[in-house]
Amino acid sequence: MEAKIETSQAKRRRIPVPAQVVIVWIGVYLFLKFVIKPPLPSSLILMYMTMTSVGLGIYVSIYEDTLQGFMGPIVDFLRGDPLRARPWRAARWAVLVLVPFMAGISTYQKLTPSAAPPIDQRVIHPAPPREFAQLYSPIPHTPENIMAGKGLFIAYCSPCHGIKLDGKGPQYKGFDPPPANFVDVGTIAQLQESYLFWRISTGGVGLPVEGQPWKSAMPRWETRIAPENIWKIIMFEYEGSGHVPRTWE
Amino acid sequence: MRMKSSNQRGRQTIVFLVTLGLSFFIGGYPVMSFAQESGGVVVFSKLIKGDVPGTDPMSAVWDTVPAVEFPMSAQVHWDPRIFTVTVRSVQVKSVHNGKQMAVLLIYKDPTNNPGDGAALEFMVGDKKAHFAHGQTMVQVEGGPVNIWYWKNADQSVNDMTAKGFGTLTSQPQQDVKGKGSWENGEWRVVFSRSLTNNDPQDAQFPVGVFQNIAFAVWDGSNNEKGAQKAVTSWWYFRPEPHADPMIYLYTGAVVLLVGLVELVVVRKLRRKDRAA
Repeated sequence: MEAKIETSQAKRRRIPVPAQVVIVWIGVYLFLKFVIKPPLPSSLILMYMTMTSVGLGIYVSIYEDTLQGFMGPIVDFLRGDPLRARPWRAARWAVLVLVPFMAGISTYQKLTPSAAPPIDQRVIHPAPPREFAQLYSPIPHTPENIMAGKGLFIAYCSPCHGIKLDGKGPQYKGFDPPPANFVDVGTIAQLQESYLFWRISTGGVGLPVEGQPWKSAMPRWETRIAPENIWKIIMFEYEGSGHVPRTWE
Repeated sequence: MRMKSSNQRGRQTIVFLVTLGLSFFIGGYPVMSFAQESGGVVVFSKLIKGDVPGTDPMSAVWDTVPAVEFPMSAQVHWDPRIFTVTVRSVQVKSVHNGKQMAVLLIYKDPTNNPGDGAALEFMVGDKKAHFAHGQTMVQVEGGPVNIWYWKNADQSVNDMTAKGFGTLTSQPQQDVKGKGSWENGEWRVVFSRSLTNNDPQDAQFPVGVFQNIAFAVWDGSNNEKGAQKAVTSWWYFRPEPHADPMIYLYTGAVVLLVGLVELVVVRKLRRKDRAA
């Protein structure tokens, strides 16, 4: 007898089936969207959510009592109940009115031409031309050369890339894409010296089409700085940022 | 048998709360994306009725248009460079009426100097052009740029073309009007033209299409002239398209249809309940 009462109490405390479905669905969505790193593409999330929905559909419909448990409260809610408290009835009406309007807003936005700017598919580090691919610095790694590189960097590069090499020089704000941050592990730490030599020598206009050269404010320094001085600047950029050039492993 | 147990009531309350939450969860997305529409990278040219204030930078029409702010940098890209400029950001507004468009620049400049100036730059044609006067690119064949250059000295606007350094020339067909007005340390400079025309040297602005735009400002009292100026690289410009009346029709139809479906479902449930 006691066991029977306990079972019925446990049953009473169970989360209603519709709430279970919603909790699992939202939980899976939040997990896929925010927990998994690197972020999943939205097409993949859509696919997983479709599978989750199908799975939940099977769970709900496989037994008569879960189907009843799922449909019952929804049917009750839709049908309404004049004996319920007034806030409950008002809220039911609010939901019934809200749903068509949400559908309306959604339709309006789908039909309105997009006001979002074109997607910027710029490749940040495109492949260098063959002639620049395997160059090595001919300049000896000496304190004097590093100091000379620092002087040149301050004169030519720091207005945009900053004295701290963090890409936040006094003139960085007006340019899109912004000047590179050399301290960041994603820029020169990932690149070979020869790559920097190419980028400094030919500047933004030297980029291939996938690098969107028309946007870059990086000057074509080969017209103004001698090659040996460009190598000294590169030497200082690595020294000053604490990174080492990447080499062929 | 209308009386329900407390168990059922609790269950219904939870269902109600979850449904309400879900409605806002789903509905919240379009509402939020609505609010985020105007970013800082696009000048949205607002569609207005009547004349555009093409030569009136002080017109009340401008008060009805939101401004977008773009930071500016000293031109350190090509010689002769400059390292300190007066104007560090520019606010931009734009309107059009389906035929004429106008762009207003607003920026702080403590002095009204004859050497003051401002310019807009656009790409011409389908080829991408470098923001620095359409200068030659090594691996990409670029196109020309169209520059609208306002000078304070004679309050003129010059409709110009460039494709590379040293090629900036005045166009034979001048299509741009404009005017600058200085008050309390602030310039308001307006440029205007027809959205589209038949001049192959000109940028074209079909409604709803994104065009590239860049800005330049000269402060004469800081000896800024020629290449020595405050600049930006490319951003976007888009004239607002005409609203398609069919969109409202479809939206209304969807609202009615969903409402009708709800009504039918609720009625059917109630009828079933009564029959039971």
